Amino acid sequence: MSIIKLNEIPLRTSRNFNINNIKLENIEIPSKIEKFNNFKIINNNTNVKINEIKKDINIKYGVGDILINQIKDNSNINIEIDIEGKNKETIILEFELDDNNRNLVDNINIIAKENSVSNVIIKYVSKDNKFYHNGICNVTAQKSSKISITILNLINDLSDNFYTISNIINDEASVNYKIVDFGGKNSISNYYSNISENAVNNIDTIYLGDKEKIIDINYIAELYGKFSKINMNVEGALNDYAKKNFKGTIDFKRGCSKAVGSENEYCILLSDNVRAKSLPMLLCGEEDVEGEHSAAAGKVDAKQLFYIMSRGFSYNEALKLIIRARFNKVIKKLDEDLKNIIIEEIDRRLK
Amino acid sequence: MRQKTYLDEINTNMYDIKNKDNYEYKAKKGLNKEIIEEISRQKNEVQWMREFRLKALDMYNKLDLPTWGPSLEELDMNEIATYVKPKGNMSNSWEDVPEDIKNTFDALGIPEAEKRSLAGVGAQYDSEVVYHSMKEDLIKQGVIYTDMETALRDYEDIVKEHFMKCVPISDHKFVALHGAVWSGGSFVYVPKGVDVKIPLQSYFRLNSPESGQFEHTLIIVDEGARLHFIEGCSAPKYNKINLHAGCVELFVKKNAYLRYSTIENWSKNMLNLNTKKAIVEENGQIDWVTGSFGSKISMLYPMSILNGKGAKTEFTGISFAGKGQNLDTGFKVVHNAPNTSSVVNSKSISKNGGIATYRSLVRIMPKAKNSKCSVSCESLMLDSYSKSDTIPFNDIRTEEVEFSHEAKIGKISDKTIFYLMSRGLSEEEAKSMIVRGFAYPISKELPVEYAVEMNNLINLELEGSIG
Repeated sequence: MSIIKLNEIPLRTSRNFNINNIKLENIEIPSKIEKFNNFKIINNNTNVKINEIKKDINIKYGVGDILINQIKDNSNINIEIDIEGKNKETIILEFELDDNNRNLVDNINIIAKENSVSNVIIKYVSKDNKFYHNGICNVTAQKSSKISITILNLINDLSDNFYTISNIINDEASVNYKIVDFGGKNSISNYYSNISENAVNNIDTIYLGDKEKIIDINYIAELYGKFSKINMNVEGALNDYAKKNFKGTIDFKRGCSKAVGSENEYCILLSDNVRAKSLPMLLCGEEDVEGEHSAAAGKVDAKQLFYIMSRGFSYNEALKLIIRARFNKVIKKLDEDLKNIIIEEIDRRLK
Repeated sequence: MRQKTYLDEINTNMYDIKNKDNYEYKAKKGLNKEIIEEISRQKNEVQWMREFRLKALDMYNKLDLPTWGPSLEELDMNEIATYVKPKGNMSNSWEDVPEDIKNTFDALGIPEAEKRSLAGVGAQYDSEVVYHSMKEDLIKQGVIYTDMETALRDYEDIVKEHFMKCVPISDHKFVALHGAVWSGGSFVYVPKGVDVKIPLQSYFRLNSPESGQFEHTLIIVDEGARLHFIEGCSAPKYNKINLHAGCVELFVKKNAYLRYSTIENWSKNMLNLNTKKAIVEENGQIDWVTGSFGSKISMLYPMSILNGKGAKTEFTGISFAGKGQNLDTGFKVVHNAPNTSSVVNSKSISKNGGIATYRSLVRIMPKAKNSKCSVSCESLMLDSYSKSDTIPFNDIRTEEVEFSHEAKIGKISDKTIFYLMSRGLSEEEAKSMIVRGFAYPISKELPVEYAVEMNNLINLELEGSIG
């Protein structure tokens, strides 16, 4: 039996807690990565250039060396998105795993040039079979740029999903993420931001775990600049035998005076057999900052359920409504098609 | 630009009294089978305890140093004497305690506190308890309060049943070390239904340089009984490392209540690697009140294991990390039965380059249905040379829970200082008042004499560090 350790936290805590990394058994990391053809790119912006070229990867963290090296050596999708000016149309990248495209190892680089404005959606879906996804999204937000990125992980629950996001956010830039982490038998994600002066980084994530799914989320934000800002909001629901680790780190580096950081995680527990671990860390080397975090877990509020059921809804319908409401912060900002896909997925998974 | 004034070292006067290193016996520095056997021989121990020590030594040799938390590189066990027997025997009269030792405890205010506000006192100097006494009426009610060595002789069965059962030697390396070299400490048994209305206090003083203190505290509060136990500790500062690896085991039986208060002010050459754990049975309650001020490095995480239905725990703690200090403290709780509850309220202050870390564990087991846990921690940094980290780990294994954790980190609000200054306070007074207010939720949980001591410690620590 082979075990791989992934997603190391930036500052270790007691080994007995089993949270410093995630150990996965018998993960098949394909050695041969064939060409991946089933993807489409939609870009109707004249100021955005998209090229299929391979860029070097130079990141501080990531899900794990073995997977990052796989992308460095064997990626079958290499895309560079070069964004200038103000762009009204959403840039969409869509990848679908199927029997002819079983392994996706993607290396996406996004450069948001100075003062640019853009909106990007990256969507991963799959047919029903066992597939493999290992990807990286590497973002450089130059001075005063604004970029919104939505990442949808909707691959099936037979496949493994590994994902690394790395951001360099320069002065006065703003990078906003919406992440839907619903897919995969094992979904292991690593997020890193380096945040400069007056820069803002918002992350809103929703996750959904059922059956025997393992979700391991490791978000790290380092605030270097004065008046820099980070908001992490993570909402999720766990059912059946699902396991979730949320590891969130906000690191106020010396010199980031007047920086503000907040991280919140809320996990709805829908079964007695789930396991929810959280490690919301605040590391502080600067006096003049405001940092806060909160983590909460529990079952659905009985009063809310009673209220909705008193209006004629069944227990299951009421439950879905409450979960949708909690996820609404992310869902409401998606366009109608995506919103419907997410809602259908919630309904299907919570049957 | 505002200027801050800094003092290199704060004189903590009464805690810094150094006596000549007079002893009856001092073990050789280092750690090996011969030293352990000699400690056991000096104590004239029963066979099972000698064997236990050797087993613990084996465990110590097998276990690794922690791979997390403050670096313990400076600790060289070959430079530490693990057992120092002071001159004289244990007495129940201060008059019989050797003059220099008595003077030390006088300066620390222990005999005076005993007269005014305590039901019993134990005083340990280096590795042995030199004084132990308790009020007559508690003795008549069957309360036992004595040193561990006497307990091992006179109540061997109870000690054997409980000793290192709550904190097994496999827990971590320094628990194993403790099992091998433990000496001194207090044993308390409160019989069923007895309410000890006035606190008992044990005070631990380490005088000998390049040595360790490894006292063992074992408290059993039987069904329906109540107790408040206070633990104090201090040492003068030396240039070389001293080590404290005590162990506290608390057994809180059905419907019993125990409050365990600690004011820790070890010298700033001390590595404080202490372990404290409580097992709480049905509807029992353990409350921890902890003030950590001293030591160079502390790794201290009291733990409550809520094993009985309806068991409760509260943790109220403050740590104050100044120059050269790395205080890694926190709390651990395991909910292991239905309807259990825990409330954690932790505060930390760091200044002059000190590092304060709050590290915790909340684990709610599958059978702990309808349990509740609420954690709140706040950190205050008084300058940007210091560091303050919050590392809370939460592990929820059942649906039927209410769990919440929140933490805040930051500096003293300029608006609040402005408000207080507009009422006539100087900036220093305003900041000092805010820090005392920050610490108030902890100090109000202490008996008034100890709250005063804690406020004095805060004032000493603040002197010159804000402005």
